Amino acid sequence: MPTPSLLLFIDRSLFARRVKDNRPVEQKDPGWKLFGKVPLREGPVKDPKRIQKEYETKSGRAGPGNPTSPRHGVRKNLDFEPLSTTALILEDRPANLPAKPAEEAQKHRQQYEEMVAQAKKRELKEAQKRKKQLEVRCKLEESIGTAAQIWNQEILPNWSTTCTSRRVRDLWWQGIPPSVRGKVWSLAVGNELNITHELYDICLSRAKEKWRTTPAPSLEAEDAGSSDRESSLELIKLDISRTFPHLCIFQQGGPYHDVLHSILGAYTCYRPDVGYVQGMSFIAAVLILNLDTADAFIAFANLLNKPCQMAFFRVDHSLMLTYFAAFEVFFEENLPKLFAHFQKNNLTPDIYLIDWIFTLYSKSLPLDLACRVWDVFCRDHEEFLFRTGLGLLRLYQDVLSPMDFIHMAQFLTRLPDLIPADQLFQHITAIHMTSRNRKWAQVLQALQKDPERCSPVLKR
Amino acid sequence: MQNNHTKEHLFKILVIGDLGVGKTSIIKRYVHQNFSPNYRATIGVDFALKVLNWDQETVRLQLWDIAGQERFGNMTRVYYREAMGAFIVFDVTRPASFEAITKWKEDLDSKLSLANGKRVATVLLANKCDQGGDVLTNNGIKMEQFCQENGFVGWYETSAKENINIDEAANCLVKHIIASENDMLQAEVPDTITPQLENDKGRTCSSCFRSQ
Repeated sequence: MPTPSLLLFIDRSLFARRVKDNRPVEQKDPGWKLFGKVPLREGPVKDPKRIQKEYETKSGRAGPGNPTSPRHGVRKNLDFEPLSTTALILEDRPANLPAKPAEEAQKHRQQYEEMVAQAKKRELKEAQKRKKQLEVRCKLEESIGTAAQIWNQEILPNWSTTCTSRRVRDLWWQGIPPSVRGKVWSLAVGNELNITHELYDICLSRAKEKWRTTPAPSLEAEDAGSSDRESSLELIKLDISRTFPHLCIFQQGGPYHDVLHSILGAYTCYRPDVGYVQGMSFIAAVLILNLDTADAFIAFANLLNKPCQMAFFRVDHSLMLTYFAAFEVFFEENLPKLFAHFQKNNLTPDIYLIDWIFTLYSKSLPLDLACRVWDVFCRDHEEFLFRTGLGLLRLYQDVLSPMDFIHMAQFLTRLPDLIPADQLFQHITAIHMTSRNRKWAQVLQALQKDPERCSPVLKR
Repeated sequence: MQNNHTKEHLFKILVIGDLGVGKTSIIKRYVHQNFSPNYRATIGVDFALKVLNWDQETVRLQLWDIAGQERFGNMTRVYYREAMGAFIVFDVTRPASFEAITKWKEDLDSKLSLANGKRVATVLLANKCDQGGDVLTNNGIKMEQFCQENGFVGWYETSAKENINIDEAANCLVKHIIASENDMLQAEVPDTITPQLENDKGRTCSSCFRSQ
């Protein structure tokens, strides 16, 4: 900011005549101060406060610290205060230099005033932006409040009749308010398995019995057979602290550590044939954040019982490949260019879909966004998981298309930390889940009947 | 063979081993030079890229960080394809993860081999040595023997947390990969270069025309 005068000063000092060398040394020093008025005449170094005052009286403005000013108190804290800036300008010219010509001084004054005006404008703009953001946030909070009221008073009490209505579906798409989210998820996932709270307690006490009787996972555990190790609770223990570690609530000693441990342990007793599979800890964790323990368990078991989740968590290889193949059908249909680019680079969907589907996006998306995906997943079922995947690919199409295999793989297995929710949902909306008049379920079914049409790359 | 010296190498390297032994941490340390105790469990496979300068050549390492749970086996074995080297990792504080080493190695060798039929270079990493290194240091000789018997080209006690031996282990693996690559290149063009005059010394003329 101070460059104009500073440059001039340097310029001039090069050609300075040594006329006034007999003046006292301290007066030769150029004085620096914060955006003050540059006095034209030479003289002893002034107190910057005095200069400021002088300037303000001259220009008809008063600083906040000036009690004599009639304008005192008028200024709001959003107004620009020159004293708050850190820019320096040269106040005095060295005593050995001639005074600035009036014209130049005028020019500098003008430049200075322009700078102040600009800074003020900028600060005003920022203040307005802040205000706008605040307004948006208030509006959002208000709309969440209104939505929560509608869900609580109108939709939930009449769930079976309202849940399929157009209005509820629209509201659902916009995201379920966090206060009713758990309830809606529970209702939407249902309880086909008829699990009761008592059953959860029984499973949990069995798990606890197992923990007690299994020797501590130390040196003796070496002898354990591989199948035992596979289902052992040690795996759960290892994974719990690696579930949303940044939230610090599932780690050893955290408030939800034991809850997560209990749900996962109870599930291995409820479905010993499935046992614990990596990815489950993330799903259980998201449910715990939205539901009471027993209800979280019920939702967890029912969620995992859905066909797509069963295929994945039982690691049914051929069925998983069928899902990937179906995904590719819609991928090609919706994003043909990107699809070709992926094919050219041998980037198969398993590489990124395994993570996305196993954790229902809770690991790869920011948690609040993942919850919004879960909202609609509860409404539209597995189809929405794959639609979300395509929405993500569509959102990042331009980022991905110039990349090679490893960079795409890296990008997709570690998505950006900030993903704009509205944009993602716009892109998901733009994904059409019909292929030659067939819907997701029909495409999947056709592929299941005809395994030869599975992705040629994935088949071995 | 001249262009061999100016070319870029791209090697796919697998990082395998039981769940929670520190595969992701080792890769993060190697590629990003940092460590966090808070890594999330890997589901499926994660990726990293490391670029090295190696004797005036550029070596790109494509690191495939493969989820450790046995259950994923069927799904993740497809990722072994075309790998040139591997790290097999265990956690020195969890003996069970060491027990699993031979299983990981057998599995790797049964699913993957180089174009010339040889096994891919594999380095064994005894990770988390900062937490219980003395378990193994006394067994150095046994470890050497274990590596020889199981076909590891080397082993290192590593700590992703304290940055111990990660670079050394990687350099060892790269060295062996380059050696095996050179092996294959020579095998591909056996009769145009290196006419093996030395070997023919002292033999009868008829040996010049032997087919092998």
